[in-house]
Amino acid sequence: MRPLGLRLLDFAETLRAGIFPARLSGWTPYLYLLPATLVTGILAIGLAEMAETSLHVLDRATFRLDPAYTTANYAAIFGKPVYLRIILKTGLAALLVTLLTLLLAFPYAYLLVRTPHPRLRRLLLVALFLPFLLGQVIRAYGWLIVLGKQGLLNAALALVGLGPVSLIYTYGGVVLGLVQYMLPFAVLLLAPALTAIPREVELASESLGASPRRTFRHIVLPLARPGLVAAGVVVFTLTVTDFAMPEIMGGGANDFIANAIYDAFFQLSDPGMGAALGIVLTVFASLIVALAFLLVGVAALGHGAQQDMRAGS
Amino acid sequence: MADPHRKPELPRRRFLLGSAAAVAAPYVLRLPRALAREKPAEIIVRAWGGVWEEALRKGVSDPFTAMTGIPVRHDLTEDNEIRPKIWAAVDQGRVPPIHVNWDTTTNATKSALRGVTEDLGGLANLEGLLPLAKPAGLDGWPLVNVYSYAYVLAYSQKAFPDRAPESWTAMLDPAFRKRVAMYDDGIGLFAPAQVAGGGKFEDIPEAMEPCWDFFRRLRANQPLLGEDPDFTNWFQNDEIDLACTIISNAREARQNGIAVSWTVPGEGATLDTDALWIPKGLPENELYWAEQYVNFALSAEAQQVWCNALGLPPVRPGLEPPADLVGDVAYPASEADLGRFLRIPTPVLVEHESSWFEKVNEIMQG
Repeated sequence: MRPLGLRLLDFAETLRAGIFPARLSGWTPYLYLLPATLVTGILAIGLAEMAETSLHVLDRATFRLDPAYTTANYAAIFGKPVYLRIILKTGLAALLVTLLTLLLAFPYAYLLVRTPHPRLRRLLLVALFLPFLLGQVIRAYGWLIVLGKQGLLNAALALVGLGPVSLIYTYGGVVLGLVQYMLPFAVLLLAPALTAIPREVELASESLGASPRRTFRHIVLPLARPGLVAAGVVVFTLTVTDFAMPEIMGGGANDFIANAIYDAFFQLSDPGMGAALGIVLTVFASLIVALAFLLVGVAALGHGAQQDMRAGS
Repeated sequence: MADPHRKPELPRRRFLLGSAAAVAAPYVLRLPRALAREKPAEIIVRAWGGVWEEALRKGVSDPFTAMTGIPVRHDLTEDNEIRPKIWAAVDQGRVPPIHVNWDTTTNATKSALRGVTEDLGGLANLEGLLPLAKPAGLDGWPLVNVYSYAYVLAYSQKAFPDRAPESWTAMLDPAFRKRVAMYDDGIGLFAPAQVAGGGKFEDIPEAMEPCWDFFRRLRANQPLLGEDPDFTNWFQNDEIDLACTIISNAREARQNGIAVSWTVPGEGATLDTDALWIPKGLPENELYWAEQYVNFALSAEAQQVWCNALGLPPVRPGLEPPADLVGDVAYPASEADLGRFLRIPTPVLVEHESSWFEKVNEIMQG
C-alpha cells in the first residue's frame, strides 16, 4: 500500500487538475499576476474616483460639490503661483533628499556589508533600526528638541560662544529631517545589492593594480546600480508624498503638495481641489519615476543587470 | 390654642414647596422621558487639546458624568479633520463618529448649511442666553454659540519690558524677524491686518488689499505658523516674542510661569465665538443624551467653570469673571464692551474665509 503522504499528494494533484486542468497551464504566469492586478485595480478605481471628484468645484452656499463638470480646479492649480511654488519646492526637496540620502547611505551600507567585525555590524544595524522603529512624527519632534532655540545644538554652540542658530521651521530643516528619516530605507535597499557583489571581484581589481577609488568607480558602483536605483526611487517617492516632516519641521511656510492636499480637504472643505491636487501629485511623481526608469532602464532593478555586467566584464 | 403672634407656617412651606416645584418642573417633567431613554455606553465629544480639553472636562464633562453616570470621552481629532468624516457619515447614512462637536462658529455654520446638524431649539437652557449665543444667518438653532473670545496680540514681557505694543504693526518690526507667530491660515488676523494695513474694517470683504499688504510685509519677517498648542510651546521655548493668538493660549503660557502678556492694540482685535452642535444620524437615545450634554454645557454651573478655566466670556450672563481677568482689555464684561472689538459677521466669514485662507497661504508659501 502506498504511504499516506503520497496518497495525500495524489489527492491534492487530482484536486488541482479538477480545478485547474493541465490544458490551462499556459495561464499559470497570469495567475501569479492576479494578486498584484487586484491590488492595482483597486488603486486604479480609487484614482478614477479621485479624478472624477477633481472635476467638480465647491458650492459655498451648501458646501457640496457642484454636479457640473469643469476643469476649474486644475486651472486654479496651474494658474496660481502658490501651487506651482509648492510643486517646485516639493520636487526640489525630493531631489535633494534622494541625493543626500544616497550619498550617506552608500558608505553606511558598504561598511555594514563588508565589515569583518560582527560587533560593528550589530552596532550599525542597531543604530539603523532604532530610529526606524520610532516613526516619523516622533523623530520630527526629536529634531525640534535638538535644533530648537533652547535645544541641544544651540546649547552646545553657546558653550563656545556661538549661536543661537535657527534651523527648525526652515526648508533646510525639512530636508535634514527627511534625509534622516529616509536613511534606513536607503541602507536596507542598498545592502542586498552590495552583498550580491562578490568581495573577490574587488580584490581582483585591486590585485590588478586598480586604486580603491578606481575599483569603487568601475566595479562597485556599476554593480550596485540595482540597489541605487531601487533606493533612489523609494526615497524619492516617499519624499515627494511626505506630509509629516514639512508639517512639523516647516513652521507652516514650507508646505509640500501633501500639505496642500490636506489643507484643501480639511481646512477649505474643498474635496474637488484636494482631489485635483492629488491627481497632480500622482502624475508628477509617476512622471519623475518613469523618467528615472527611462534613463537607467527598468532592468537595472533586477539582478539581471548584475549578471549582464558580469557577463560583459 | 393658637399663638396669635406666631407667624403662619403653612404659607411659608407652601411658598418653599411652590418655588422648588417651579425650579424643578422642567427636570421633573423630563424625568419620565429620561428614564425611557437608554443611556449610551459613553458620549463622545470632539474637543481641542491642552487647556481647552482640561477646561471642558472640569466644567462640563466630569460634572455631566457625575450627574448622569454616562462617561464622556473627548475625541481630540482636529476640528477640520472631523468635519469631513461627519459629513461623509451623514451622507452615507452611517452613525457619525461623535455625539457632540465643539467647533468654531464659522465651521459649525458650514455644517449647518450642509444640513448635517440637529436642531437644538428644544433645549431648556437656551433661555436667558446673550444674543451672541444665537447663530447668525441661520434658521432655528442648528448650533449654539457657547462663549466669545478675542484674538489678542500676545507678547513676551522680556521683549516689551516697559509697555505693551500699541499697534499690530509691531509684528512687522524687523527686530522681531523670525520671532513672530500667527495661525497657519491667518485666522484672527484678517480684521486687524486690514486696519493696521491702512484700510477700513467696513471694506471687508470687498476691498482687502491693505490686509494682504500687511500679510506680505509680515511674510518678510518670516513668522512661525501654527495651531493653538504651538503658541504656548513657542513662548515656553523662547521661540517667539509676539503672536496673534486666542487669549486662552497666552493665559495658559502665563499660568505655566512664562513671562507672557497680551493686549488689544489700537486697531482693535478680532472677536469670534465657538459653538456646540450635534450631528444628524445618531440613534434616538444617544441623540437625547447628546442634547442633555449640550443643555448642561449652557447651564450657569457649567458655563461658570468651563469659561473661567478658558478665560473667556460665557454666553450665560451674570456669571463671575475669572479674578485675573477682571478689567482685562481682552475680556469683554458686558454687551457694551463687545463694541471695542472687530467682529466680522459669520455669514461673511462662511462665504469668504476659505478664500482668505488660500490668499494667506499664497503669501506665506513665498
